[in-house]
Amino acid sequence: MGPLLPLIEAPLWANLLAAFIIGIAFGFALEQAGFSSSRKLAGMFYGYDTTVLKVFFSAAIFALLGSLIMNYFGLIDLNLVYINEYYVGASIVGGIIMGAGFIMGGFCPGTGISALAIGKIDALFYLIGGFVGAFLFAETYPFFAEFATSGYKGPTKINDWLGLSPGVFALILIIAAVGMFWLAELAEKKFPKPEITNEI
Amino acid sequence: MNARLRFSIFIVGLGLITAFIPYKQNKPNQLKPAGLLEKSMDNQYLISVDKVARSVVDEDSTILIIDLRTPEEYKNFNIPGSINIPYNKLLDKDFEGYLDQKKIKNIFYSNGDIISTQAWTLCTGMGYQNNYIMQGGLNEWYKTVMNSNYSGDRITARENALFETRFKARKIFTEMNSLPDSLKLKFIETKRKNEKKLDGGCG
Repeated sequence: MGPLLPLIEAPLWANLLAAFIIGIAFGFALEQAGFSSSRKLAGMFYGYDTTVLKVFFSAAIFALLGSLIMNYFGLIDLNLVYINEYYVGASIVGGIIMGAGFIMGGFCPGTGISALAIGKIDALFYLIGGFVGAFLFAETYPFFAEFATSGYKGPTKINDWLGLSPGVFALILIIAAVGMFWLAELAEKKFPKPEITNEI
Repeated sequence: MNARLRFSIFIVGLGLITAFIPYKQNKPNQLKPAGLLEKSMDNQYLISVDKVARSVVDEDSTILIIDLRTPEEYKNFNIPGSINIPYNKLLDKDFEGYLDQKKIKNIFYSNGDIISTQAWTLCTGMGYQNNYIMQGGLNEWYKTVMNSNYSGDRITARENALFETRFKARKIFTEMNSLPDSLKLKFIETKRKNEKKLDGGCG
């Protein structure tokens, strides 16, 4: 099962079952954290609600700490963790499109599904738009293929790029995250929109 | 002390601890010395030159013949269909994709048996599977495939088949190695093969 060494030879059904349970837990937590509300998500952009930043960054640093500590105790093989491959140009353009879509639609792909699950009509249209976009992209891919695959850097990690050990990089990221949490709370006080935050 | 401050101190403290613990790579597949000894005891990993010759003639795609000699020696002549992984580059990331796989048989050869046996031990110890050695190396290949002639009064069907394979392999070997360099290099350039890809990502 994934990078967990004691379970690496687990049968397929156990893997799928684990994925199913983790998926349900993820969706449940996402909904409970209020991520199915596009106004809460958009609050990140306007500064009145920074839950998105806090939740995702704390999830990221806890996963980071957990994987490093488990790696130290020989419980995990980090080589089995998928690292996204880095295409410079495509990442920048993709990031801009994703960000613009996020702020216009009010969801990211995962939270869109979460919102549809509780019956939000805007999420339905958001997802239809996403599928149409994916279809158009796939159909017109030959036109972008050259750009999409340019600037290939392979699966790159920031700490390798900076020449830092993973532990030191984790510490820097944690300090940055904690700093951002405090800043985010300041922003919430500075740009309050109680009519929205009270409601959600 | 409020909860926010406590959380901040806790998480930065954990971060400090991880910054000091050394990072190590867990290699779960690596064989322990006892396992390696056991594997090297049976001779299953030896493949005769005649078998290799038959694979060359049949263009067998379930095997990969790996030449461990230097690139110069390899360019000079090599067994057709083989790729060149010089012994001193065996641990190079570029070749990991060829060595660390579970689908085909990797058959190592060098001039004799020594280097190929060392390569076999290294690869097997790292947990790579399907490593084999062409027994006797190129010396044996020359002796058996290139230079042997049948001398006897009557030939059995089995011997006939064996010699036919040897002759065919000899022909392919000579033809491929007498190609002009410009043409030959096209065939033998070992391309970088990425380490086995993992599926995944998130959306």
